[in-house]
Amino acid sequence: MTAVLRATGITKNYAIGKREIPVLRGVDLSIDPGEKVALLGSSGAGKSTLLHLLGLLDAPTSGTIEYDGREVQSLHVSERARLRHQQVGFVFQFYHLIPELTALQNVLLARMMGSSVFQYWGNRKQAKQSAIAMLEHVGLGERLNHRPSELSGGERQRVAIARALLAEPKVVLADEPTGNLDSHTAKEVVDLMFTIQQERQLAFLLVTHDEGLAQRCDRIIRMKDGCILNEQTVEQA
Amino acid sequence: MIRAFSPFLALRYLVTRRINILGVLGVAFAVWAMLVVDGVFTGFVRDIRTNVENSAPPLLLTDLPHDSDFGELREVLADDDVVAMAPRLRQYAMLQPVSHKRPQRLKRGSSELDFDHTKNGFAMLLGIDPLLEPSVVDVDSWLQRGAAEVNRRNGNAQPSEVFAEPDEERRAELLLPDKVEWEARIDAGMAYEKKLEDHTSSLPGILLGWRRVFSLYPMGNGDPFEIVCAAFVDTGDGIAMRPYSKPVICAGWFGSGNRMFDEATVLLPIETLRTMLGHDEMDPGSVQLVTDVAIRPRDGLTESELVALQTRLQKRVQDVLPDDAKPCSVLTWQEQNIVYLRAVAQEHRMMQLVLMIVMLVSAFVIYATLHMMVVQKIKDIGIVAAIGGSPNGIGSVFLLTGTVVGVIGSILGVVLGYLSSIWLNPVNDWLYATFEIEIFPRALFDLQGVPCHLEPSWVVTVAIAAMLLAIVVALIPARKASRMNPVTALSFE
Repeated sequence: MTAVLRATGITKNYAIGKREIPVLRGVDLSIDPGEKVALLGSSGAGKSTLLHLLGLLDAPTSGTIEYDGREVQSLHVSERARLRHQQVGFVFQFYHLIPELTALQNVLLARMMGSSVFQYWGNRKQAKQSAIAMLEHVGLGERLNHRPSELSGGERQRVAIARALLAEPKVVLADEPTGNLDSHTAKEVVDLMFTIQQERQLAFLLVTHDEGLAQRCDRIIRMKDGCILNEQTVEQA
Repeated sequence: MIRAFSPFLALRYLVTRRINILGVLGVAFAVWAMLVVDGVFTGFVRDIRTNVENSAPPLLLTDLPHDSDFGELREVLADDDVVAMAPRLRQYAMLQPVSHKRPQRLKRGSSELDFDHTKNGFAMLLGIDPLLEPSVVDVDSWLQRGAAEVNRRNGNAQPSEVFAEPDEERRAELLLPDKVEWEARIDAGMAYEKKLEDHTSSLPGILLGWRRVFSLYPMGNGDPFEIVCAAFVDTGDGIAMRPYSKPVICAGWFGSGNRMFDEATVLLPIETLRTMLGHDEMDPGSVQLVTDVAIRPRDGLTESELVALQTRLQKRVQDVLPDDAKPCSVLTWQEQNIVYLRAVAQEHRMMQLVLMIVMLVSAFVIYATLHMMVVQKIKDIGIVAAIGGSPNGIGSVFLLTGTVVGVIGSILGVVLGYLSSIWLNPVNDWLYATFEIEIFPRALFDLQGVPCHLEPSWVVTVAIAAMLLAIVVALIPARKASRMNPVTALSFE
């Protein structure tokens, strides 16, 4: 099976003054379609940096990133943005919703990324129906017109999940999605994510500190000091 | 290609962020100011040009030698493109009221330096031929305006009728009706016939610029004056200055609208002035003395045809002048007043330049509000980038915001400017009537109303310039937003 996402020899250095600080030191990683992978590690291990590189938000210092076997790190910045829209869905710890927009508008925004004004205008009813259906799917059918400030933490994260999934990505990159939620809400959110992941056979890369959450994935990758410490299936763990 | 999220987010930011109203109001104010202030100035300039044109003949042959003869020039100036011409003779002089009603002395304590040239009666005498002048300039409108200006200042005047006198000989001397002159002589203590039936008018009439009416005493229609001037004459033993004087009578007021002309000029029959200067038509060796010839060209001449006519006439006249004569000139009404008109045009340009600064200030307001918005929206920029927003699309959000601010501000400014131009006079009148505040002091500029003329080309130029300026200043924050690193933006607190 071809990996939907493959990273080879990824390094990333940050410059602080004249010093080069290595954050990632040659990371190799691949995720198959429909696979759930947990990325574990202490703070500063390079998990979030790796997630940003894999999500094409930043460029690696060296190494290659492939989506469906196509090398992408050398693409033009606009092309990378288009690919990010088509292939990747992000879920963040702090939800990252736009405060001026309602839940529905935040989700619809994902659909607007890939369409021109005229294309979107022609399909606006269909796009709105899809967004409403997605919000209903995550249990927010009654909260469509609420702004983020009027929603609870769990509800905000559900909106973020709906937004990440509306564009039907192949890969979901979740950066500590339950890190800001109480345990009960966190379980609900994770259950929801994994249910949808199963339904759509999405590749899932989950950055977390939570060992219990990692155990619910197919594979666990542990990182330390910018390197992959070990990689094992849940059965092996 | 503009992605759908760019206008969507731009409109959301515009609606939810009230600070953008500041940008809209800034542009609207700048556009409004540029339209209204320039509109008033343009109206003012148009009035000035109209008045200047009204006060000058379409073409003027001038810079002639001091002894030029109109009889000779008339033959030289005959041309298919010339429909009328009239002789003119200029001479400085003093006006002295002939009356037992003398002006009051200066009040105790007032300064002798409180000197007003209109009160002491110095004047530029302009001798005209009353039979020919109306065919070149609109004398009737001068008389109408003169009476109207006097009446506007609580006077009681009728337009002078001396040009309507059916008797050509009497009209040529601008004579008043016998009864009017007879009574004026009695009133002024001048010699007069015992019976009105024995009296025939003989005092040449003069027309005063209406601005003299309130400064000269006496000043009514039918009041006699003494004109005093001097000329250098060859006595045989050499050149000597010889004073001349002539009693005349006020036959009315004129107003061309050209302030300087109306203040300084006194119109009188050209023959009267020629006589004073030793060129009475009965004198041996006299000529039909002129300093200028007013010319009316055929209507419908193109600019190039008019220039050709000027050149042709100048050459013909120059050819008949003595060899040592300086070059004469044939000037259009604009060229006759070129210094004044250029000064006004220059002021207009300077004012437009100053108004541009108002526009720049409003552009700075847009820049400041957008820059602030970019700083406050750094996290949003990261979010949009994370869900697939391209750098250009992100930049477009802020560019569109600035553009909409510029467009709405410009439209609002144009509408307000247009309404202001319509309501300028009523509002000015109301303010004066209610609070005695006059924003535009019409009397200061000698205007019947606040002139306001919006040139469509200027309106379009200002509106487009405001929009373009808004777009240009929005480019800077838009570029900053588009170049932002999404990871840095997402982690911004």
